[in-house]
Amino acid sequence: MGENSLRGFLEKLEKAGQLVHYTDEVIPEPEIRRIGRAAVDIAAGNTGPAVLIENIKGYKGKRVAINVLGTWANNAVMLGMDKDTPLKEQFYAFAERWAGGSDGELKWIENAPCQEVKVTKDINLYELLPLFRVNKYDGGFYFSKASVVTRDPEEPDNVDKQNVGMYRIQVQGPDTLGIQVLPFHDGGIHLRKAEEMGVALPVAICLGVHPVNSLMASAPLNFDQSEYKYAAAFMGEPQVLTKTLSGNLDVPAYAEIVLEGEFVPRERYPEGPFGEFPGSYSGSRRQFRIKLNAVTTRKNPIFENLYVGRPWTEHDTLIGLNTSATLYFQLRETMPEVKAVNALYQHGLTIIVATDNRFGCYAKTVAMRLASTPHGTNYAKNIIMVDGDVDPFNLVQVMWALSTRVRPQKDVIVIPNTPGMPLDPCSEPPGIGGKLIIDATTPAPPEIARDVRMVDSIPEAEAYQKILIDLQKKAAK
Amino acid sequence: MKCVRCLTDNASKVAEAPDGSKAWEVYFCNRCDFVWRSSEEPEVIDPDKRDPWFQMADVEVEDIPVFSPVPPLRK
Repeated sequence: MGENSLRGFLEKLEKAGQLVHYTDEVIPEPEIRRIGRAAVDIAAGNTGPAVLIENIKGYKGKRVAINVLGTWANNAVMLGMDKDTPLKEQFYAFAERWAGGSDGELKWIENAPCQEVKVTKDINLYELLPLFRVNKYDGGFYFSKASVVTRDPEEPDNVDKQNVGMYRIQVQGPDTLGIQVLPFHDGGIHLRKAEEMGVALPVAICLGVHPVNSLMASAPLNFDQSEYKYAAAFMGEPQVLTKTLSGNLDVPAYAEIVLEGEFVPRERYPEGPFGEFPGSYSGSRRQFRIKLNAVTTRKNPIFENLYVGRPWTEHDTLIGLNTSATLYFQLRETMPEVKAVNALYQHGLTIIVATDNRFGCYAKTVAMRLASTPHGTNYAKNIIMVDGDVDPFNLVQVMWALSTRVRPQKDVIVIPNTPGMPLDPCSEPPGIGGKLIIDATTPAPPEIARDVRMVDSIPEAEAYQKILIDLQKKAAK
Repeated sequence: MKCVRCLTDNASKVAEAPDGSKAWEVYFCNRCDFVWRSSEEPEVIDPDKRDPWFQMADVEVEDIPVFSPVPPLRK
């Protein structure tokens, strides 16, 4: 998939007409926020471009990339597909690559591009990087698309247990960061062990990487699965890494910017609020702090960040298909009747699953399985089950299934008092919630259904679509 | 100087525009960790115009919730 870098991907976007250069002068706030918001809003997250902002007041010569993977057109380019590929086809292409699992190859190089420039004293992030406030009432300037690398302090040489996670990071002092890592995150397990041992956990924060690295960092992989090996398998080429200056951590060799440092052990500091993916601000919390000891960059680095806030945003595109694919494979391990999973909405707070019914009411069991997957435990709040021949990415079809197949007295189940997602603004207390299952599948024996005949879908009509589109293009000329 | 969010005297200048344009300065409060740039909108940097919901003048740092508690040291 080309050079394993942000720059390589931006070139591909440019060729596909999905990258624009913003050269008029902008002030960091509120203009970068507005440009990020606008880019993803074009055609509701479908066709907007990535934007390279090249003339920022006070940061002359520095560049910000935003909305790199904000839209489905850009996602299609990442998958090597035509930019107007329908979402369900993108899902299957994504899942096929995802099935490569953690078998990818890793390769290490020295003198990596990400270390062309080294800053090891007087670090001042506010001057080194064109930082900006993502949402108006955020507590500071955030890294919203950072890959955070840590190792298991009990097994520091275990590459598979090295974690690459995406966590929100607030720049605080010129060389200190506040970071939200929650106990159920893999990075949270590393941190808990380090704090129990009373040691400072080394950390590397990578900014501006290939989008496949970002989507692996944000994917709910198992604790002992390597995000880098997944990325390599997904891309069909080795993941090229290098060692950090100060330690044993592996970072993508072509990253634009790498921040190296250590967690301050056994202390918590105020962080937040931050405008989060459900479209609400999280409150202030006391969180982990990182103290930096080095910043390395490529020459003339690009600072990449994403806009997150009221959906749809790049956050939704970035984590949409990796969450969907993870759940799809976890369900299919024992339930091969599952045809597709759409977990695009708010990181899977609402999920639509297409499945055949092996026997009566089977879909409800699939829903409960989904609700007890590692990700589903906290996230899967509203679960909608549709038949295997319904496209769960096509909301017109989903609404049709709800309209015509749901018997409220039989098919709507509420399970109260289950784990919830603290960032869900109606999780009360934060972290406690419930499950809603709506079974919109057609009843199967021994369940008795009313004797009706549905109108057939007409798969042969698809070929005629292309003919009509071509005729339409000719008519427009 | 005074922090625009927690209103205590714990803020200081941490950066100026690196291109020498004097376009703005950045300030940091080492009590509540708020950061702001002098060129931002009044609703962000003017205490009188900020949404009171986000102010921290009456909040004690130790009362701010912790989601990842410090675990006991191993023996």
